[in-house]
Amino acid sequence: MFNLIQKDILLLKYIFLILLPILIGYLLLDNSSILMGFLASIILIQAAFAIDEKPSINILLNSLPYTRKEIVSSKYIGSVIYIFIIFFAILIMNLVMHGIITPWEELFITFLLVIGFTSFMLPFLYRFKSQYLLIASLGIFVTYLVVIGLFIHNLNDRIRELVHTLLTIQDYQIYLLLVSLGMILYVGSWFLSVRIYRNKVF
Amino acid sequence: MENVIELTNVQKSFKGFQLKDFSLTVKKGFVTGFIGGNGAGKSTTIKMMMNLLQPDSGSVSLFGLNYKEHEKAIKQRIGFVMDDNVFYEELSLKEMKKIIKPAYTNWDDNLFEQYIEKFELPLNKKIKTFSKGMMMKASLTVAISHHAELIIMDEPTSGLDPSFRRELLDLLHHVMQDEEKTIFFSTHITTDLERIADYITFLHNGKHIFTKEFSQIEEEYAIVKGEIDLLDRDIEREFISIRKSNHGFEALTANKKRTENMLGNMALIEKPSLEDIMFYTKKGEEQYV
Repeated sequence: MFNLIQKDILLLKYIFLILLPILIGYLLLDNSSILMGFLASIILIQAAFAIDEKPSINILLNSLPYTRKEIVSSKYIGSVIYIFIIFFAILIMNLVMHGIITPWEELFITFLLVIGFTSFMLPFLYRFKSQYLLIASLGIFVTYLVVIGLFIHNLNDRIRELVHTLLTIQDYQIYLLLVSLGMILYVGSWFLSVRIYRNKVF
Repeated sequence: MENVIELTNVQKSFKGFQLKDFSLTVKKGFVTGFIGGNGAGKSTTIKMMMNLLQPDSGSVSLFGLNYKEHEKAIKQRIGFVMDDNVFYEELSLKEMKKIIKPAYTNWDDNLFEQYIEKFELPLNKKIKTFSKGMMMKASLTVAISHHAELIIMDEPTSGLDPSFRRELLDLLHHVMQDEEKTIFFSTHITTDLERIADYITFLHNGKHIFTKEFSQIEEEYAIVKGEIDLLDRDIEREFISIRKSNHGFEALTANKKRTENMLGNMALIEKPSLEDIMFYTKKGEEQYV
């Protein structure tokens, strides 16, 4: 199965190379590492999925001695690896460019956000196609705007506050709780994707 | 004789298509050609053999193993050659090898290089620049390089020029020198099979019409040609189907000996091609449905 992850990394190397300067540029402007880390990770995870999306590639992968469970699992394990690669890049760049060590709380929040988002994204992608993800994302964005406009006018501020609170929490038990929740969500999503993929027809 | 592939009472239905109570065996050490018209269910059958599709009921076993428990062990022993490009278009063959090689325990680099040279395949060009023939060669090289015992091919000769088709058939012939190997391939171009196949499996409308040795087909089936007035009800019943014209009739029989006895030398009896058998079987079904 690790062959499959290796394969994804080989195929993603160009995307890595494109992503890296963008990441550098963004961090040079001294923007939030959380947002950048989140976006870069999601782009990689989504790209790793997209390269194997064609039916012909699915036929190839399924004719090789891999089980469907392994094919799906490689994406889930791979995703965690990509997150750490991005984190590593952010850590290095912050250190080199600004001479600071990225606070681990920031990385922690980013990790949770990516894991949470991916948990919904991957089963969605396995069930539908990538192109619907854009539509779904637009749908969520519009809903978000509607919520801000009609119901909770200060939603943005509230989120900012929440993030700020999370960043300043000193109680490690809460972190532990959040990590556990994230993991449960991720593993549940993993099982769901295996189920969806098992019944796919190519 | 040992069976490499066994499909037993398999059912599979899609919208507007159905494989019903379908059983099929493929013998070890031989080339089996798989024929049938468009939509007969050839690809569906091959996909079930590859576990790309699961049957609604019935069992599929390869090398005497089932996919549920032995999926990886089975796939280690199969080489799959598809009609389409199933490689990553943006990669070169060299990179593609890097991806495929670790998946197989029996991968043989020497063999791979040997065939790359034999086929004159470029290692560093992107796969999307490959022609159909090159694609097929690449696919076959991969299938051979991991010492597959069973090679399954879905329409390998479609879209290839005649000289390359011949080359491919020669190569398959060469592969078959090793008696442990088995080849199963579907095709539209039935003349290819006359050159290489030991067994023919004929599928029509989701039904398995027959699997027979090539020589047996020639013994049993015949094309009969004669004058229209030769036909009466009894004789017409002898035939799978009949094509009548102003000049006479042409028909297919599945019982050459009996037909010969009935008609004696009043009709012309000829060796049928596989195409004849396919054509008349299809026509027969349309008539009697």
